[in-house]
Amino acid sequence: MSQYEPKGPLGRVVQEFEETAIALILGAMTIITFINVVLRYGFGTGLIWGLEVVTFLFAWLVLFGVSYAVKVTAHLGVDAVINLFDAGPRKILAMIAGVVCIIYAIMLLKGGWDYWAPFAGLDATTGLGGKDSIWRWIPIGFENSRDQAWYAVIDIPMPEWLRFIEPVMNEGEAYEKLPRFIPYAILPIGMALLLFRFIQATLRVVSGEQTSLIVSHEAEDDVEAVKHMNAGD
Amino acid sequence: MEVVILFAMVISLMLIGVPIAVSLGMSSIIFLLVLSETSLGSIAQTLFAAMAGHYTLLAIPFFILASAFMSTGGVARRIIRFSIALVGHLPGGLAIAGVFACMLFAALSGSSPATVVAIGSIVIVGMREVGYTKDFAAGVIAVAGTLGILIPPSIVMVVYASATDVSVGRMFLAGVIPGLLAGFMLMLTIYIIARVRNLPKGDWQGWGEVRRSGIEAGWGLFLIVIILGGIYGGIFTPTEAAAVAAVYAFFIATFVYRDMGPLHVSGGGRNLTLLEKPKALLTVFFHRDTRDTLFEAGKLTVTLMFIIANALILKHVLTDEQIPQQISAAMLDAGFGAVMFLVIVNVILLIGGQFMEPSGLLVIVAPLVFPIAIELGIDPIHLGIIMVVNMEIGMITPPVGLNLFVTSGVANMPMMSVVRAALPFLAVLFVFLIMVTYIPIISTWLPTMMMGPEIITK
Repeated sequence: MSQYEPKGPLGRVVQEFEETAIALILGAMTIITFINVVLRYGFGTGLIWGLEVVTFLFAWLVLFGVSYAVKVTAHLGVDAVINLFDAGPRKILAMIAGVVCIIYAIMLLKGGWDYWAPFAGLDATTGLGGKDSIWRWIPIGFENSRDQAWYAVIDIPMPEWLRFIEPVMNEGEAYEKLPRFIPYAILPIGMALLLFRFIQATLRVVSGEQTSLIVSHEAEDDVEAVKHMNAGD
Repeated sequence: MEVVILFAMVISLMLIGVPIAVSLGMSSIIFLLVLSETSLGSIAQTLFAAMAGHYTLLAIPFFILASAFMSTGGVARRIIRFSIALVGHLPGGLAIAGVFACMLFAALSGSSPATVVAIGSIVIVGMREVGYTKDFAAGVIAVAGTLGILIPPSIVMVVYASATDVSVGRMFLAGVIPGLLAGFMLMLTIYIIARVRNLPKGDWQGWGEVRRSGIEAGWGLFLIVIILGGIYGGIFTPTEAAAVAAVYAFFIATFVYRDMGPLHVSGGGRNLTLLEKPKALLTVFFHRDTRDTLFEAGKLTVTLMFIIANALILKHVLTDEQIPQQISAAMLDAGFGAVMFLVIVNVILLIGGQFMEPSGLLVIVAPLVFPIAIELGIDPIHLGIIMVVNMEIGMITPPVGLNLFVTSGVANMPMMSVVRAALPFLAVLFVFLIMVTYIPIISTWLPTMMMGPEIITK
């Protein structure tokens, strides 16, 4: 697979932002965990909120990163069968795969929104045909969800500079811990980005810029890089 | 019946080119929509909790990061130099050194394709220079590279431990003896072939070279001491050990080896020392190489964890529908015992291992077979090692083993030649698999000795 090249200045800025965000989140996770180990052995103390922050960052890393991985075609898949086909049928299969991915992303975007919205004092969506219909993944409107904006996380204290949200979100009541809607926001955001990238990738397959949505193993780029060393017999 | 439809759906989606993660997630969601009243909201929550709720899986990004810092060309080169100094003078020395280097590198990295790329790209060239055929060289590396997932630390083992709630520490320990044994069997095979075919041997360069190259490689190899020592000494949890290892690897890569970061001088020149450029202590955190390594590790984490998170949705379906219990009951009714069960597990994993990334495969198969295995009285740790070895072999089994693809790319030769070249060593690994499957003590002795007998909760 060739490396994805961003198009235009905006494309480059977005690419740089995505890659740096992924690097920063992983770096922060590592440093916080490391500091906590040092604090425990060096000073007999620790950051109580450390573990919870790291697990939330982990979720942010993956849920934010999946859309980037779609953009650069880094998701792992099985190419043994599709490689047996000629270009024509292969394109049709890739288009079907693209549609499956888009539906998947729609379902998770609805799920992510429904889960997150009550924490933010917003309404979840209702599904077609009611609670046990198999079509309930198609959103048709909003229900009147119970406001759960007072839900907070377990350990992470509420940062002082965020207190301005209290009148809006929590009817002026002070948050003792970080409100839940903040860490969980990545769920609808990440899934919306994923949907966007899957639509883009499918369109690229249709236009012929890209032949599949997958790579067969994580080291494909590295293999290309060392291939020349053993050229010839 | 439902389980057949579910797995048929997963496999057909995968085969038409849907990403593995989406195939797993999509099939599970459809299943939940049809068969249960589960809301999409709770499915999304499962996805979030895959990361936020699994402390064990948190070790994965840190292990990946540690091996990303250690996978720069320089570390592989140092390990190879040390291996050649140690065993290069034996008949077939360079090939044996290649296997040995793969074993050492496997202890730094948790991935098999990565091991093949890092060691293979250098060793295959070297072997051809001293007169080995390209085929022989490629065959050796393709097979030795699979040791990456058996020798701890191994990402696949972390995934297994997390999927089945066994201890990561025990799994790592359990991999030590089988890993050494497999490596030894491969080296012995090469030695015999070398004697018969009169393959070239190198010169003994003396203990001085062993010591010098050993110290050089030792900085990197100390990582495994931190991880295993830290876990078994009760100092760290596996997750903390992985994070400490990542920080250590970062310092070694940028300040000791200086293959990357602010002290690195590109193009043959001598690298700077910290005294010559003390501000590197600060600039290293903003250096492009640091960002790039973090990013590459992050990207790999994302793709692996996306598969695992979706496989956890599938696991949710399996548990809800009590599918493992049904299969287990059916198998016991049909009179299958432990031996037959293990054969079936072997076959499933050998086929699956050809197509799929090992951690994704494991997270699907483990919850399915684990309850059955416990029912049949098979040790969970032993089962884990069997599964890992099976996937190793799957990676080099024709027609589509992953490592064969990687090797054919690295060695720049057709897939079929790699397959032929790997066959004799594949046979060795098959013997090894049978040994590991039917002699449980190979896997369970070390963990039981170090950590006491394990308590199995049903």
